[in-house]
Amino acid sequence: MRNACGPEATADPGAPVPLIELRKLDKRFPGTHALKAVDLSLFAGEVHAIVGENGAGKSTLIKLLTGAYTKSGGEILWEGRPVVFARPNDAISLGINAVHQEVVLCRHLTVAANIFLGGEDSRLGILKNGAMVRAAQRILDGLGFSISASANLGSLTIGQQQLVATARAAARGSRLIIFDEPTAYLTRQETEQLFKLIRRMHADHITVIYISHRLEEIFQLADRVSVLRDGVLVSTRRVAETDEQTLIRDMVSRSIGNLHYKEDIGHGAVIFEAKDLTGQGFENISMTVRSGEIAGLYGLIGAGRSEFVQCVFGRRPKTGGEMRWRGEPLRIRSERDAMRRGIALIPESRRDQGLCLNLGVSHNLNLPIFDRLTRHLLINRQAEMEHADRQIADLRIVTASRALGVNLLSGGNQQKVVVGKWLNHGAELFILDEPTVGVDVGTKVEIYKLMAALLRKGAGIILISSYLPEVYDLSDSLYVFRRGRMVAQHARNSADHETILKEAIGA
Amino acid sequence: MAEAELPQRSLASRFAFLRSLTLLGLLLAMWVALSFSTHTFFTVTNVENLMRQASLWSIIAVGQTFVIITAGIDLSVGAVIGFSGVVVAMLMQANVPIAPAILITLLVGVAIGLFHGFGVLRLGLPPFIMTLATLTALRGIGYIMTDGAPISGFPDAFTNFSEDSFLGIPLLFWMVILVSVPSYVLLHHSRFGRHLFAIGSNPEAARLSGVNIPRMIYSAYVLSATFAAFAGILTTSRIGVAIAGTGEGWELQSIASSVIGGTSLFGAVGSVPGPLLGAMLISTINNGANLLNVNSFWQRVITGALIIVIVYLDQLRRRRR
Repeated sequence: MRNACGPEATADPGAPVPLIELRKLDKRFPGTHALKAVDLSLFAGEVHAIVGENGAGKSTLIKLLTGAYTKSGGEILWEGRPVVFARPNDAISLGINAVHQEVVLCRHLTVAANIFLGGEDSRLGILKNGAMVRAAQRILDGLGFSISASANLGSLTIGQQQLVATARAAARGSRLIIFDEPTAYLTRQETEQLFKLIRRMHADHITVIYISHRLEEIFQLADRVSVLRDGVLVSTRRVAETDEQTLIRDMVSRSIGNLHYKEDIGHGAVIFEAKDLTGQGFENISMTVRSGEIAGLYGLIGAGRSEFVQCVFGRRPKTGGEMRWRGEPLRIRSERDAMRRGIALIPESRRDQGLCLNLGVSHNLNLPIFDRLTRHLLINRQAEMEHADRQIADLRIVTASRALGVNLLSGGNQQKVVVGKWLNHGAELFILDEPTVGVDVGTKVEIYKLMAALLRKGAGIILISSYLPEVYDLSDSLYVFRRGRMVAQHARNSADHETILKEAIGA
Repeated sequence: MAEAELPQRSLASRFAFLRSLTLLGLLLAMWVALSFSTHTFFTVTNVENLMRQASLWSIIAVGQTFVIITAGIDLSVGAVIGFSGVVVAMLMQANVPIAPAILITLLVGVAIGLFHGFGVLRLGLPPFIMTLATLTALRGIGYIMTDGAPISGFPDAFTNFSEDSFLGIPLLFWMVILVSVPSYVLLHHSRFGRHLFAIGSNPEAARLSGVNIPRMIYSAYVLSATFAAFAGILTTSRIGVAIAGTGEGWELQSIASSVIGGTSLFGAVGSVPGPLLGAMLISTINNGANLLNVNSFWQRVITGALIIVIVYLDQLRRRRR
């Protein structure tokens, strides 16, 4: 679908003054030149997409526009006048708001408190709490989000928290709203609601900046699309005048053959089998994984896939059913049991579950195998360093040194650490839970190639993905989950997207 | 426009309410038990005594809570109490009238709070370290200023304050009300309080929402230190002398009271009624132990056990949500 939705004459010279214009906008950090003299104009009512690999400078650009960072050089013009964003309030007062990729809200406060944070309705400093809760509920209802305004934010799912962030931006941002990977944690229904909201904003002449790795969304929503690469704005085109291949080529300056890289690998013996496995959040799941095979688990968020694989990995107890490993009964009581057996889990949330953010790259990479690096109670430092260096080279992890804190890596490189640390563990069954969320195109392909390498060595993979094109192209067997049950099973390419989607939704 | 306050109370406030109820229940149960086990507990003298002691700890518990909500901590409270007692005493000895002496001493508290805020924000020191430093230093300064000797001989009006009552309730307890009611409104019903919780929950989110984080942090530490100074003045009035070592260990009492009252040391969770109940609980334990002639060291053991039990139950309840 390549429809641009909106007025065509938005980029002509001699047209109305742009809402916001960036002239040679520059940002340097110690050791990094994050944005290099970016020139970009955005017009009122435009939906403008920005794409680029991780580390291309998209986050930096957003932070400059919202006043979270101060620029190192260049100018920002708002309706023709130069402005300086010294602190977030400067941007907020102009009507600029952002919905960030990771939820940046206060878990301990209520939904209503979060929506009005910084702009509370108060008289002489005393909050008009009742009024705010009612107003917040009206906003949520008006957007079609079924969330209670007095619920605690921490009690909502990540997808719902993102919707609250969206409601907040919609309520506060009157001129320019920036969405950074907004659909990463949303269900299909929620995504539709979001798109409706964006179209409404467009009709209300609110400018939207939309950042996403899901290129088909951009072709659905945006008028124009700009590509950032290594801090440089490489191109700005009308969406109607371009296609996916061109954008990808601009992003990585090389063409990527097939986006969802998959090798033809023969399937060997059955490694893992689950029969009627039941636990909290899932019921009667039966499946098999053979050596060299990718078993894909598709479903909406909350369908029970993560719960199921966590049980396989020993994180959750099972209440019924059984598992077999190469034909023998498999009893897993803890993660250590699973690891010892040869099962590895690459978890869903890399920041919360996959990484020790304060520690270095080497420390994280070596974490699962420290017992192997230890001799007589002492760690073999030489082996530790060599192993880390080899991983960094093999996986092409971009880092200044092996000791650099992983919290300083880009999202894609962080994900490489999360996946990479298991590669040499010798596991035979790899469970990857949403391995490419928030990861750029180039790194995605590298992760798919890593998966192929594992399969070639004889391992089996269980892949959880909520992104149908990805899991459809990669899986040898596709299992569809809905509400904790497995509702369908398809061999590779034997059903079409529509059918699978219907099965996942229950339509 | 006279509609109900909230369509549905948030889980957080319902939870806090339940917890206060439990603490209250525990407190009443203790009082009942003590009334039966010793006939000296439920006497006017003793109850007034209990309220007076609890007052001092309540005030510092509330001040401490403001700081802990921002995920910080104020370890200097005990030293501020001793120090402010010395300051107000020396001022009165120099013939400064009572009211200005008290005012100046409170301003000293404000200054200490500002110093803490400066250390935490500008120097980037962890609150634990910064306030630990002042805890140690202020104690020393107090001893230097008094040469280790107690100061006595205050105007009667000053010392009588802590012995008098109004409407049957000790004036010291009225001071708790004087401090708690505005604190309650500030924390639970004002923009200030909302922002304070936000900072404790997610400082980055607060910053991006335009919350003035430095001003809030300074305010929290100023409140804690000023409340502590106030408590120090009241303590000096109560015991009739100013000793530099007064308040030794009281910072831990303030933290314990706050935590028993439901404040989370991780920040963003806390209230005003909770720490008040916590302080009353600990005071009751001490009072009861004295009356029952229990070895005073057992009081500490009981308080320690209470902290573990109550906070554990708290965690269980939070997890179940």
